[in-house]
Amino acid sequence: MTKKPSSLRIGRRDTRPDSPSHVKGVKEGNATGNYEKMDGHLPDGRSTAGRSTGINPRKHDPIDPDMPNLSPA
Amino acid sequence: MATRTTGAPEQVEQARELVEMSWDPITRIIGNLGIYTKIDFKNREVVECKSTSSLFRGYSVFMKGKDPRDAHFITSRICGICGDNHAVCSIYAQNMAYGVKPPPLAEWIINLGEAAEYMFDHTLFQDNLVFVDYCEQMVKETNPGLLRTAETTEAPNAGIHGYRTIADIMRAFNPFSGELYRQALQVSRITREMCCLMEGRHVHPSTLYPGGVGTVATPQVFTDYLSRLLNVLDFVKKAVPMNDDIFEFFYAALPGYEEVGRRRVMLGCWGSFQDPDAVDYQYKNMNDWGRKMFVTPGIVLDGELRTTNLVDINLGMRILLGSSYYEDWQSEETFVSHDPLGNPVDQRHPWNQTTLPKPQKRELDGGNYSWVMSPRWFDSRTGDHLALDTGGGPLARLWSTALAGLVDTGTVRATGHSVEINLPKSREFGEMQLEWQIPRWANTIERNRARAYFVAYAAAMAVHFVEQAMGEVRAGRTKVFSDFDVPDEAIGCGFHEAVRGVLSHHMVIRDGKIANYHPYPPTPWNASPRDMYGTPGPYEDAVQGLPIFEENGPDNFRGIDIMRTVRSFDPCLPCGVHMYLGGGKVLKQVHSPTFGTGVSG
Repeated sequence: MTKKPSSLRIGRRDTRPDSPSHVKGVKEGNATGNYEKMDGHLPDGRSTAGRSTGINPRKHDPIDPDMPNLSPA
Repeated sequence: MATRTTGAPEQVEQARELVEMSWDPITRIIGNLGIYTKIDFKNREVVECKSTSSLFRGYSVFMKGKDPRDAHFITSRICGICGDNHAVCSIYAQNMAYGVKPPPLAEWIINLGEAAEYMFDHTLFQDNLVFVDYCEQMVKETNPGLLRTAETTEAPNAGIHGYRTIADIMRAFNPFSGELYRQALQVSRITREMCCLMEGRHVHPSTLYPGGVGTVATPQVFTDYLSRLLNVLDFVKKAVPMNDDIFEFFYAALPGYEEVGRRRVMLGCWGSFQDPDAVDYQYKNMNDWGRKMFVTPGIVLDGELRTTNLVDINLGMRILLGSSYYEDWQSEETFVSHDPLGNPVDQRHPWNQTTLPKPQKRELDGGNYSWVMSPRWFDSRTGDHLALDTGGGPLARLWSTALAGLVDTGTVRATGHSVEINLPKSREFGEMQLEWQIPRWANTIERNRARAYFVAYAAAMAVHFVEQAMGEVRAGRTKVFSDFDVPDEAIGCGFHEAVRGVLSHHMVIRDGKIANYHPYPPTPWNASPRDMYGTPGPYEDAVQGLPIFEENGPDNFRGIDIMRTVRSFDPCLPCGVHMYLGGGKVLKQVHSPTFGTGVSG
């Protein structure tokens, strides 16, 4: 970060302004390709019970395949 | 409380006897706003007004170097009442910078959350803060003659709201004891719950992100929202006719009251509620998707729609100095020389602003007197730097939407000269149509009246949004977020409406970090001081020349007409300036950096 000239007297900083920014190499939740890796999220934007539970998720899907699959939160 | 700063009246060249009166701080608003006036009591007129803010915050200074994905979480803290507007606006700017388009359901959820915020904040401000200036107790102290008239004036809409006379309405406004005051507190609680259902938390949302939302879209979330909305509809259906009654009474009982707070019609609205079918967050298409917003962006000049194009609105923004405690940044770095369409971007545009604070003594006579800068909109046709105001938010939103005539959802229809609002059946009332007509003036009364109508507008829009969101859920389309990667270099801008008016966030990303970030909320526009061309800001402009209707003389002057005018803009100073310079004692310092910050990035 370049320091901007100012007549303002300020104290010595004890951390870099960009300390809380992202560190290269650390995984990012928003990164492209993560959606496909998550259970229960289908490519067409729909979802299955797999997004809500990992225990026998198929048993929690609707009995009629034409019904919308609305898993609980 | 009014302060009289000079003992003896001041003599000016026109031999007018001017008394300096100041209110600093003005209460019932957020932040430190001071209004300094010179009043000619003999001619019952405010001759000069200056608005000052003693609050500096520094968001544009300390945002530099941060992870851009944190921007909405940090900037939401600008305000403790409309923080979610800042979060949403920041997300719009980030979506543009990252090139990501959230799924439709995510947009409906954000729209629902924001609609709840408008209903919450406007109700709280109007009924619990503005109406204190119109309540029985206040009117008794400032205009006892007016209260006597109110006692004998029948309320035309008594059949709907149940208050027989205007004085009965004024009694319902009494703080803490009035019926309406207490009802409004309940409504602001319910509407806050509605916001929490969609955005996770109010006022700093926890489930809104660039690329979408984290709200799990179950049918129950939407039915919980809808059941609360139907309760609010009952309140809205009573509130709007009651607002009409009280404000029409002021026009009738105090002839000439339309001049209070009146200024040239120069309104700005940056648009609200994205249409998922249109919005792709690309700058080059911003004109198209901006015009599809469910509150049409626009600049209304002397009653005519000057533009609805967000690109024009963006490029016309100028941040001027003149009476503010900052050094000029004209010779500083230019971050964005041209926008993505190739248009040149001015050095005084928020993308290129460098904030250089320069604390100094307040000098009201010809010097600097505020921490607020002077945002203006450059009209390329006339070469004027227009001191746009927001009309408190709703006046500009309804005016721009009405003139543009683009919005038609069934629940809300813009006609070109008015906005029709259709509210469905609720518990106490059947279907009701309300129509907001473009007023003859941009004044104190019309700013306040528009606020009541905009609560109805937001409620009617929320009905539409719930239907759309439920449609997505019933089709099984439950996706609420899209993946994205943060680019090393990018720019973005977000345009939204904070509750009290225009809101923009401008961001420049370099090396994956924020290189420049400037939020411009409504109050810098409204509370701005005189700029380098000497143009006064909207508060100053609206109060200067204001006729005084208060019956009290100089000795026990309350300044009620001035207060009503300033409060009609819904002032919110934490928005106004974005330092703490005290040498405080550090008790304990804890720094918890992001994992791995010891490794150089």
